[in-house]
Amino acid sequence: MVEEYNLDTNVVTRRAWRCNKQLKDEDKWDVEIGDPQPIYNKEENMMIRENSNQPFISRRITKTNLEWRIRNLPYSIETYSVMADRDSRCLIVRTTNKKYYKKLEIPDLDRLNLIPEQENVSFSHKFNTLIITYKKPKKLVEMEKTILEEIKQVQPKHQQDMNNCKPS
Amino acid sequence: MAAAAAAKIAEVRETTRVERIGAHSHIRGLGLDESLEARHVSQGLVGQVTARRAVGIVLQMVRDGRIAGRAVLLAGQPGTGKTALATALAAALGLDTPFTSMAGSEIYSLEMSKTEALTQAIRKSIGVRIKEETEIIEGEVVEVQIERPATGVGTKVGKLILKTTDMETVYDLGGKMIDSILKEKVQSGDVITIDKATGKITRLGRSFARARDYDATGQQTRFVQCPEGELQKGKKWCTLVWYESRINIIEFIGDTGEIKTEVREQINGKVAEWREEGKAEIIPGVLFIDEVHMLDIECFSFLNRALENEMSPIVIMATNRGITKIRGTTYKSPHGIPLDLLDRTIIIPTQPYEEKELREILSIRCEEEDCQMSDNALTVLTRISKETSLRYGMQLIMTSSLIARKRKAHEVDVEDIKRAYQLFFDEGRSVQFLREYQQEFMFNELDDKDDLEMETN
Repeated sequence: MVEEYNLDTNVVTRRAWRCNKQLKDEDKWDVEIGDPQPIYNKEENMMIRENSNQPFISRRITKTNLEWRIRNLPYSIETYSVMADRDSRCLIVRTTNKKYYKKLEIPDLDRLNLIPEQENVSFSHKFNTLIITYKKPKKLVEMEKTILEEIKQVQPKHQQDMNNCKPS
Repeated sequence: MAAAAAAKIAEVRETTRVERIGAHSHIRGLGLDESLEARHVSQGLVGQVTARRAVGIVLQMVRDGRIAGRAVLLAGQPGTGKTALATALAAALGLDTPFTSMAGSEIYSLEMSKTEALTQAIRKSIGVRIKEETEIIEGEVVEVQIERPATGVGTKVGKLILKTTDMETVYDLGGKMIDSILKEKVQSGDVITIDKATGKITRLGRSFARARDYDATGQQTRFVQCPEGELQKGKKWCTLVWYESRINIIEFIGDTGEIKTEVREQINGKVAEWREEGKAEIIPGVLFIDEVHMLDIECFSFLNRALENEMSPIVIMATNRGITKIRGTTYKSPHGIPLDLLDRTIIIPTQPYEEKELREILSIRCEEEDCQMSDNALTVLTRISKETSLRYGMQLIMTSSLIARKRKAHEVDVEDIKRAYQLFFDEGRSVQFLREYQQEFMFNELDDKDDLEMETN
């Protein structure tokens, strides 16, 4: 797992998990927070993938909220409903015109064994993007604080230093 | 209609296909009942009741899969069914348990060291069941668009629109996917699943929403509900891989066929990781080494060590030797196996067959080899098998049946057996023949020394 922090705001900007299923497989990253990993030379052995103008999701975390941005959703705000589902511990995004449906998992809450609450959910729609915000519960804020203290002990490196590093 | 007819023909071919008949192809299992008691004649095995019961207990041990690194020795005279018992065990274990069968002399190769060959055999007998989660797209086809370039060459461009009751998504298709969609004749209204990694398409049926379309539908057309929820679903299923199956690691094997220790460690590490995550489980199998006296002292000491590993399979060995020299030494030991290894094994003895049992076996073989034999002939054949050996008796089945066919009889009679018996010598008569006519053969002057021994080292 790799996390990137913004040192000015002390907020996680990127969190990704490495997953390679096979022995000697190329590294693949499962991006939890931040923009999805761009895939290069995808045309060569592409089987099936979603069209580029289909909705896609990126997650980010702010000081007070967990956010999801679902881009490429052109329908107006009345179309959407976002429900906190206690059984599956997900947020369920529905559309009245039956064009989009998504179960959003909330790994941050799962890790603390918290159940999503409906009153923390709000959403807005702007520029073809549906933005769902979930207010961080107290427990999560506290945990992030303790993690941050731990992280502060790590010496940060500048981009230049990284460039000098010669990977074999 | 034509397709159906073709299918029917294929089916008929299937049933009339002739399998080649091997020495043990009549064996289908151990022939035990629920309490592991051996039935006298069952699943191709006859007699040998105590040995079969003992192997049945070994079978239970393998199935439980908890005990690793046991060695079992099947000891008995030639032709008492040691290999047959091992074959029966393999058949009883079924296809899901790895069973490796090898002969003791198989490990000698100029390209690979003996211990490497043994290690590979041992590791081949360990299975790993991997639970994998794959991404599956399941939905009803709204539309398929495939555009060919006007010139006829170049890549095709394809789009597929799928929906569930809750959503709808447009997918871009790659060249391979387009081909398989065309092959599967996917059309709008079908409910399909696509494995995202392999691109495998499965048609579940037609959607109920399209049930009123007056299409010409075949009898087998199934109508299914349009799926709910998300299009993309994670699904779990199991795959069983042999631990060191060559297909998986073919790229790691060097020119000598030897697998490097680092690669082994890498595999071990990966499997351990998967086990930790609950993604994989180990299925210990059986390694059967026939003619185990052909192994030498190095292999035996290697086996001693290998058996102590918790990842080792259950090793079954078979030998027909009595007290003889251990290969590679001048020491003598029972079964040609060093005493320390012998001490680690449980020994199952096989007894010579009774006359009644011989008769049963011969009649089973007659059936297997598609040969009608009269009662008298069978009695004579049993007698011959008793006097000479069971193997010789079995050889006579096919030969005498061919003789019987020559005289256009559909049943083998005593006459045919007699004729075959005269035509083909058994080992005893061959020895006698040699004794009588030794002078006429070449190099007979060398044979004066009586203590000439077979060189095995």
